[in-house]
Amino acid sequence: MVKPLTRKLFRDIGRHRAQFIAVMVTVFLGVTIFAATYDSYQNLVASYETTFSEYHFANLTVAGGDIEAIAAAAAETPGVEAAHSRTIADVPLRADETKLLGRAVGLPVTGQPAVNQLKVLDGTYLDAARPGGVLVEEHMADHFGLVPGSTVEVLCGTDWRVLEIVGVVSSPEYIWPARSRQEILTTPDNFGVVFTGESLARELAGVESPNEVVLYYENGEPDEALSVELGVTARNLGATQVYTRDEQPSNAALSEDIKGFEEMALLFPVLFIVAAAMASYVMISRFVYAQRPHIGGMLANGFTRGQVLRHYLGYGWIPGLIGAVPGAVLGVFLAGVITRLYTGMLSVPVTLIEFHPTTLAAGVFIGVLATLLAALAPALVASRIRPAEAMRGETPAGRGRVSIAERLLPPLRRLPIRWRMAFRGIERNPRRTLYTMFGVVLSLVLVLVSWGMIDTVEHLLDLQFVQISQEDAVVYFAAPVGIEEVAALEAVPGVAAAEPALEAPVTVTAGDRTYDTVLVALEAGTEMHNFRSVDGSWIELPDEGLLLGKALGSELGIEAGDVVGVTVAPLGITVEGTVAGFVDEPLGTFAYTSRQYAAAQLGGSLRVTSALVRYSEGADAAVVRQAITELPDVAAFEDADALYDVMNRYMMLFYGFVGIMLVFGAAMAFALIFNAMTVNIAERSREVATLLAVGTKRSTVSRLITAENLIVAVAGIPFGLVAGYYLSAFFWGSFESDMFAFDLYVRPATFAFAGLAIVVVALISGWPGLRALRRLHIPTVVKERSS
Amino acid sequence: MISLNGVGKTYGEGVAAVHALRDVDLEIPDGELTVILGPSGSGKTTLLNLVGAIDDLSSGSLRVGDVDLAALSADARVDYRRTQVGFVFQFFNLIPTLTAAENVELVAELTRGNGAQRARTALEQVGLAERLDHFPSQLSGGEQQRVAIARALAKEPPILLCDEPTGELDFETGRLILGLLRRLGRENGQTVLLVTHNAAIGEMADRVVRLRSGEIVEDRHIESPVDAETLTW
Repeated sequence: MVKPLTRKLFRDIGRHRAQFIAVMVTVFLGVTIFAATYDSYQNLVASYETTFSEYHFANLTVAGGDIEAIAAAAAETPGVEAAHSRTIADVPLRADETKLLGRAVGLPVTGQPAVNQLKVLDGTYLDAARPGGVLVEEHMADHFGLVPGSTVEVLCGTDWRVLEIVGVVSSPEYIWPARSRQEILTTPDNFGVVFTGESLARELAGVESPNEVVLYYENGEPDEALSVELGVTARNLGATQVYTRDEQPSNAALSEDIKGFEEMALLFPVLFIVAAAMASYVMISRFVYAQRPHIGGMLANGFTRGQVLRHYLGYGWIPGLIGAVPGAVLGVFLAGVITRLYTGMLSVPVTLIEFHPTTLAAGVFIGVLATLLAALAPALVASRIRPAEAMRGETPAGRGRVSIAERLLPPLRRLPIRWRMAFRGIERNPRRTLYTMFGVVLSLVLVLVSWGMIDTVEHLLDLQFVQISQEDAVVYFAAPVGIEEVAALEAVPGVAAAEPALEAPVTVTAGDRTYDTVLVALEAGTEMHNFRSVDGSWIELPDEGLLLGKALGSELGIEAGDVVGVTVAPLGITVEGTVAGFVDEPLGTFAYTSRQYAAAQLGGSLRVTSALVRYSEGADAAVVRQAITELPDVAAFEDADALYDVMNRYMMLFYGFVGIMLVFGAAMAFALIFNAMTVNIAERSREVATLLAVGTKRSTVSRLITAENLIVAVAGIPFGLVAGYYLSAFFWGSFESDMFAFDLYVRPATFAFAGLAIVVVALISGWPGLRALRRLHIPTVVKERSS
Repeated sequence: MISLNGVGKTYGEGVAAVHALRDVDLEIPDGELTVILGPSGSGKTTLLNLVGAIDDLSSGSLRVGDVDLAALSADARVDYRRTQVGFVFQFFNLIPTLTAAENVELVAELTRGNGAQRARTALEQVGLAERLDHFPSQLSGGEQQRVAIARALAKEPPILLCDEPTGELDFETGRLILGLLRRLGRENGQTVLLVTHNAAIGEMADRVVRLRSGEIVEDRHIESPVDAETLTW
């Protein structure tokens, strides 16, 4: 049988269901987001880890130098389970009449390699009986519609060789098809990977022996000390590039994404749970205030203070539990959906969706704990009430005083009394006013962190593709060419200008620190690329010295004027260069220099690996592309707009995410302001009824209360905008790396819209309270002893 | 003149219906101080609320002068409350964030002229000229009730409706308030309806109407009302 006190609790909840529902919904949203994001994070980590161990994803990759000696030394090093030597050839490919930058990865034809194994999605693995057979990485296969039996062409010397596709595969190395750490963003039109027999890869690369070794540690466990040891050994044997699993381009890009889930799993739920706790606190405080005579009666009739305490704690944890349980269940379910969508979109070879009872329990625990803590202070107040005083129905008198606003701005004292009332009403319950303002702050943080992401990424794209990159396309040559081939490009109809460029993988060394990047040598007065210094000003590419990506300053501990070593991997030579300055670019960390300086440092005349092209006004990009790709020396054509479009397509996901967060933010703000306003009206019902009884119009009273709530909401907006901005900067700053520079940018209009949205939500959330005002029975309320 | 003809008021429906007033006929001439007596639930406050147009009658008719309250629109009722009646409640119902002067001025502003001046005058009338800038929490119960009376007077309404005005006050303060109501009513020529369950208060009235279970059980004129200061209970 249900105890009377429990019945009272549930009836109170039923009577004030709108306020309790507001708390429940906020808890529900917070716990759902927590469970969905945290479980997705766990699932994705597990999916990647399983993929890595199942397909023996390399712990360390070493390129250049005496690969066979490095492999032999590594194989004998304790802790290394397998060392696999192979050949990587960056060669032009042609698929479906499209030329693109390709990569051929050599594999043993007798069976899967010991390291970096493949998952065959369609067809078969390589077969020694079919020496011309290749495997195609699935991003490329999907884009060009390649299936077993189709063909792909690869440039071998000066001839295009037709290869038959025997299988479509996915690889742990190319889950995110990054060409290099500096070229994280690629399009399938510009970059594709094929896996060939090792002998064919060597032929394509023009080498006699492997040029890369991949190492897998025992059980695939990362071992930093081992990596350092092997790195030193490798560099002593002439290695030009050494990178760990964490630094591997694809994995590094994906890690940023995973980190996003981890951060979201913390920040967003915290916002909601705190909001729910506040809404709960405001509501329960009001109940205790209004039920003082009942509490006095309970205590006078023998209820213990503990029973009263537990009773009022129930107003917290019960709605918390009701919101948290379905939230946790839905969150865990959604985590499965999100994980499947994510791994499906990225073609992660293994999708692991596990049920984590701890997430479910943690979600429920967080929801219940937050609301329980919110109820604690008012419940303690209830348990400490003095029965005799409480039963007399005398509530502590509200202390009146001139508002701070009136004291600071004396002309406000000349306002009509009812508007002075609005100002003083705000200070009547300072704690509730502060909580309401804090609710506004929380809502704005949520909105700005989400909306700030759109602004930041849009700004980042504008900076990279509009302000920095000035070329319309990059043309890659099949082999280094002379300056005359660039001039030939200018003869193509639709091309207004073409500038030569040299791109070479290099290792920059300062002391014992190294950094692998791409050296880009451009004309000193280049019009194809603008350079933005770290202070945001625009600078020229100097005739002398190197302009380095700003991340290199901290990575290598260098500053302008220092001399660094530059090892050019393809040439196997190391030269010195002076750091002329640093550039701030959103994507990648490159090393720029003038062609003249590069030629002087490297010696001899500088060849050209690519050309930066600008179209004539009104030129048809497709026609220009067609004409250029038909030129015999051209290996690939990268349209600047294509990358921009790819990024914009990814933005659609952002818009969806931000849309959801805006709805959630609005719901949170609504719940908080609704509860605060409902309590405000309830607490002042006798005052309102008196005003109505003496002849004040309901519309005037409505305006008065609306004004008071709006003042509180508006007062919270500046704090919310500042807090939102700095928290967004902190949140997005955590994604900053040498691959991406996430400098927060929020448009002024975003601040304005966010503030306006809060005002609108405040107006809407006050509406139910004002409706209740219309139903106020004046005779009853004016006779009540306490409100 | 306040005229009630066959006035009935029922709360709720069916078996839960409560008949607060049943077929009440009453005429109160202008300028009279009428005490409405009765135990709890007798309908006295309901009667007051109907005259004050803060509640609707269920049957019959109620006229104040030429005005038929049942026929008034919502806006007209607001206007009626602004200009025709002043309320004094048992629990004072002052707004805690406004000073004594502001509480009165708030209501005075609703009507016409210089609200601040009328508020000051009303507070002087109730003897609170020195306490204008005090907030309710800084005033005693009696002082708060005097502010409430000043608030009712500030609009200069022809009718003063007082619901248990001494209910929350000690004996001495209660007598003081009653004397004030008697004196101001006379000075201003106001009709005063004073609801109480304290029969002794009836001795200071021009007329006593006793209610029981929603019906008038006694309606008598007092030939020689006593001074409030001499009342005892």
